[in-house]
Amino acid sequence: MNGEFIKRLTNNIWEISVSYKDGMRVPARIFSSDKLIGGIDSKIIDQISNVACLPGIQKFACCMPDGHVGYGFPIGGVAAFSTGDGVISPGGIGFDINCGMRLLRTNLTLGEIEPKKEELLNRLFQTIPPGVGSKGFVSLSRPTFNELMEKGLGWCIDNGYATDSDRDYVEDRGYLEQADSKTISEKAISRGINQMGTLGSGNHYLEIEVLAPNDIFNKEVADVYGLDRDNQVVIAIHCGSRGFGHQIATDYLKLFGKCIRKYDLHIRDSELMAAPIKSAEGQQYFSAMACAANAAFVNRQLIVFGIRKVFKALFGKSDSELGITTIYDVAHNIAKLEKYNIGGYETELLVHRKGATRSFGPGHHELPEKYRTVGQPVIVGGSMETGSALLCGAIKSDQEAFGSSLHGAGRTMSRIKAKKSIKGEEVRQRMKKGGILVKTGYISGLAEEASFAYKDIDSVIDAVDALGLSSKVARFRPVLNIKG
Amino acid sequence: MPYKYTDTHTGSDIGLTATGKTLAELFADSALGLTGIMVDLKGLREDQMLKVDIKSDTLSELYYDWLSEIIFLKDAESFLFKRVSFEYLEAEKGILKAILYGDTINPDRHLLKTDVKAVTLYKFKIEKSFGHWTGELVFDL
Repeated sequence: MNGEFIKRLTNNIWEISVSYKDGMRVPARIFSSDKLIGGIDSKIIDQISNVACLPGIQKFACCMPDGHVGYGFPIGGVAAFSTGDGVISPGGIGFDINCGMRLLRTNLTLGEIEPKKEELLNRLFQTIPPGVGSKGFVSLSRPTFNELMEKGLGWCIDNGYATDSDRDYVEDRGYLEQADSKTISEKAISRGINQMGTLGSGNHYLEIEVLAPNDIFNKEVADVYGLDRDNQVVIAIHCGSRGFGHQIATDYLKLFGKCIRKYDLHIRDSELMAAPIKSAEGQQYFSAMACAANAAFVNRQLIVFGIRKVFKALFGKSDSELGITTIYDVAHNIAKLEKYNIGGYETELLVHRKGATRSFGPGHHELPEKYRTVGQPVIVGGSMETGSALLCGAIKSDQEAFGSSLHGAGRTMSRIKAKKSIKGEEVRQRMKKGGILVKTGYISGLAEEASFAYKDIDSVIDAVDALGLSSKVARFRPVLNIKG
Repeated sequence: MPYKYTDTHTGSDIGLTATGKTLAELFADSALGLTGIMVDLKGLREDQMLKVDIKSDTLSELYYDWLSEIIFLKDAESFLFKRVSFEYLEAEKGILKAILYGDTINPDRHLLKTDVKAVTLYKFKIEKSFGHWTGELVFDL
């Protein structure tokens, strides 16, 4: 990957200099490893260097080890913009605003759920509907939906869907204060109002996983996160703001197309539509995006509410006996105001993360007190056959990547190719042989999400661990999966 | 077939190339191809009817807005598109009025597939060449 304009800075960082392309305001950095760098698509270089051309960008544009080609930003892209002359770009956030992950711990072990695995899978599938056209169990009026998108997790607490403890362990406590329902179109409301508490489709999933004793890398931190017993059952949820967020992105992408001309912005890619942060349009989108982010936090929480109900009924245990509590909830697709050191001064920046996770290290004042000595949990979703991973945030990410780390394994194969390679039923049988039961409304879709369509999750978490952006804590192996 | 699915550079999504002798054909075929990503078209009835009225600034925007409308109706009205009858189509002026025929989502009757989140602008194209209209699209799944 070395060349005239691309240099290896350290063992795991490759830098694309500003001379690589006309218009680059800052360098771009690819975080990777010897094992992964060979698989980097040249289109990623193109996309991340386009990001480095955007007005007001600070220090460098980053691409995480799980990076792959996206729209505008690569998936795995991180960039921070001045709140003075910078821009906000839907292409740096994605259509699925605040697509993210929730990780729950339980007091249960594999042995306890083993006899009821199939029944558990069926009940979860009925309670948390995945796929096209699914509707949630909560019936919302328009005023209530407005309240929900403006209050985030606070709405869930007011209505009995969340505990105070849930809120303490959600990024930003499940609430972006910029949310303003007046910036939302009728269409976005119509698309989203019936979908709260649903999983969605594509790569979204609900997974019951197990922590084996030899899958713990850092026992001290694992204990702090509530991972405290052999073969402990944990639950991972991957989904976002559903049609509500998708429509907001669609609405504003169109509006921002006009801003490019209005504000004479020079962008290198039509998917990098942007508006100045200070402009009326930029502020409107920021508020609308915050509404979608809040709705996504609520969506994941309503799923948690449904999961708790299913477990209580099936296992005949109380909340305290089951101990289903939130380890953490992270956003993958979002833009937020955060403070970083720029030229010796603490400066507020608008950080865009698209397929990347916030990774605050020990001591960060925004972390709940319990995690302040160890850093923020960084939840990494893998393929449905390989399970997920838990890392902890590191101070180095603050200096190297605007407090960010990776978000998943990273896709390497198209859906069409994956479907040509294997049948969905074969994947289901293979998973069953490996001890994983999977349920989906669309069996052929299993082929699209087969493990070979993704990078090896262990290689990507090794890469960020070596980079020091976050540190490995534990790996989880799937036993039940509901594929969206 | 007046449309075909294509691989995309992004990998996680799906491309669609549609063709038509007229813009009306292109718009109809593109919408059918889009719906075919979400459901097996063979199981769709045509007993539901919806009117749409779209005004856009350009042909390109109209094409984008038309397909975005099909996605919107799937979520907002649980409506799956099967056929269109254009009442008025001045596509190059960005005006479209149509009656859509299709089905209400029903998991008991339909083989539901993968949801489509949005029409992207990635490699988005609508053009006329050798007397045929072609649309190139990538949908975010």
